[in-house]
Amino acid sequence: MKRKYLYILALLAIALLGYNSVYFKKLSDVKKAQKESFDFKAYADSLYYKGILKSKKTVDLTNLISSLKSDPSAAFEKFGNRLGIGNSAYFMIKSTGKIIDIKDGIYTVADEHNGVVFIDTKYIFGNDLRDASGLVKLTDFKTNAQFNKVSESLNDIVRNEVIPKEIKTVKLGDSISFSGAVKLSKKQTLFTDLLIIPSQIKLQ
Amino acid sequence: MKIRHLSLVLAMMVLILGCSSKEKAEKPKIAVVVSTLNNPWFVMLAESAAENSRKLGYEAKIFDSQNNPAIESDNFENLISSGYDAILLNPTDSDGSISSILKAKTAGIPVFCMDREVNTDDAATSQILSDNYSGCVSIGIEFVKELKEKGKYVEILGLVGDNNTWARSKGFHSVVDHFPNLKMVAQQSGNFDRTKAMEVLETIMQANPDIDAVFCGNDAMAMGAFQALQAAGKEYNVKIFGFDGASDVIEKIREKKIVATGMQFPKVMAQTAAQFADEYFKGRKTFPQRVPVEVELINASNIKDY
Repeated sequence: MKRKYLYILALLAIALLGYNSVYFKKLSDVKKAQKESFDFKAYADSLYYKGILKSKKTVDLTNLISSLKSDPSAAFEKFGNRLGIGNSAYFMIKSTGKIIDIKDGIYTVADEHNGVVFIDTKYIFGNDLRDASGLVKLTDFKTNAQFNKVSESLNDIVRNEVIPKEIKTVKLGDSISFSGAVKLSKKQTLFTDLLIIPSQIKLQ
Repeated sequence: MKIRHLSLVLAMMVLILGCSSKEKAEKPKIAVVVSTLNNPWFVMLAESAAENSRKLGYEAKIFDSQNNPAIESDNFENLISSGYDAILLNPTDSDGSISSILKAKTAGIPVFCMDREVNTDDAATSQILSDNYSGCVSIGIEFVKELKEKGKYVEILGLVGDNNTWARSKGFHSVVDHFPNLKMVAQQSGNFDRTKAMEVLETIMQANPDIDAVFCGNDAMAMGAFQALQAAGKEYNVKIFGFDGASDVIEKIREKKIVATGMQFPKVMAQTAAQFADEYFKGRKTFPQRVPVEVELINASNIKDY
């Protein structure tokens, strides 16, 4: 009789072990999990610190404007980046100037050579920085959704970590150096009042 | 013996030349398969694709999938058996359309997607798509500024099985969700349809009469939302945002009754797809899998340009 209970217990134990050892999952769920396991934050971190900050593609704003005025097509080709079809392109620029106004996250800067430019520290969204960098190709990711997630992670780093730290020490009247993305249209002929999505702001 | 051989060679040559001249005589046929012809935007896309194909010297016929992947699949079966040489496709469903594209691929027929993306990068020959995400980031920024970072709003989505619906929604929320005083009180599908969107908003407003804004995944739904708000006498209190660049919405922006929309370029997408098909016939076999087409924000500040 006791042996019978022992067998039942052993069977139950084996069944329990077996039940907990095997998991069934939908193949679509596994594939989805594999896709989502990509670490966008780490990728964006590397893109920002090892790519954008060290990029040799960043062009001096004065040089860019002078190139645009003399040969717009060549300037768009050499310095700009447009994925696919469109009338505009993104450029990664750098320059210096004096802060003449700060309002609602917009730093108005009197650029020594290029008139007034606006640095938007609040609305750092979209694909401006990713595309201006020219460092990420559409074919690097399987879907547009993944490609856009790169921008979201990159923007999070710049908007939440980098810029708040950098502007803490910056005040009205200060001279700064800055770099960032600017979107220009091929139809554009005036290059004043440019809006810059910053990648870096430094006190001079 | 020699004469027999010679006559055989001659017969073969006649056959070969005959075949090749027959091939040259037949114009390649292009099928334009569109998700629906019940929406002027898609009519324009389909007609433009067919017109561009004809301009390039090909026969072109439009097939309507009536927003139904099963009808789309039937269309594919028919056009594969009818000997079409290329398909310019506006898919009905980002997942549901894949099997049809793969059937065409197996039959050796290239498929060029227009406007709507499918969830795989190895089925279509190329996908020419509006940059919905970036367009809706711009609308999101405009939305936050217009509402001065606070208020209650409704989002009316397009078709839930369509990638564009979510690309637009994600672009919009990638901005708006960072402003905690903007509260979404309802998010419902209006199926990209004007009447459906009007009904959806009317129902939502019964429980939420105090909304400040509506973001719609396309302009047809923005017009439906406008009708619902007009009927409730709230068209001047609630800010409406759309997406497409439809002429009636452009007019409403001019009249300050709708705040903004994202201008898509269906003619550019259709022309590029037809051009790619032409290049395919002429021997090009490698195409970029995705070609984004820029979307431009239209609001009161630049409406004079449109």
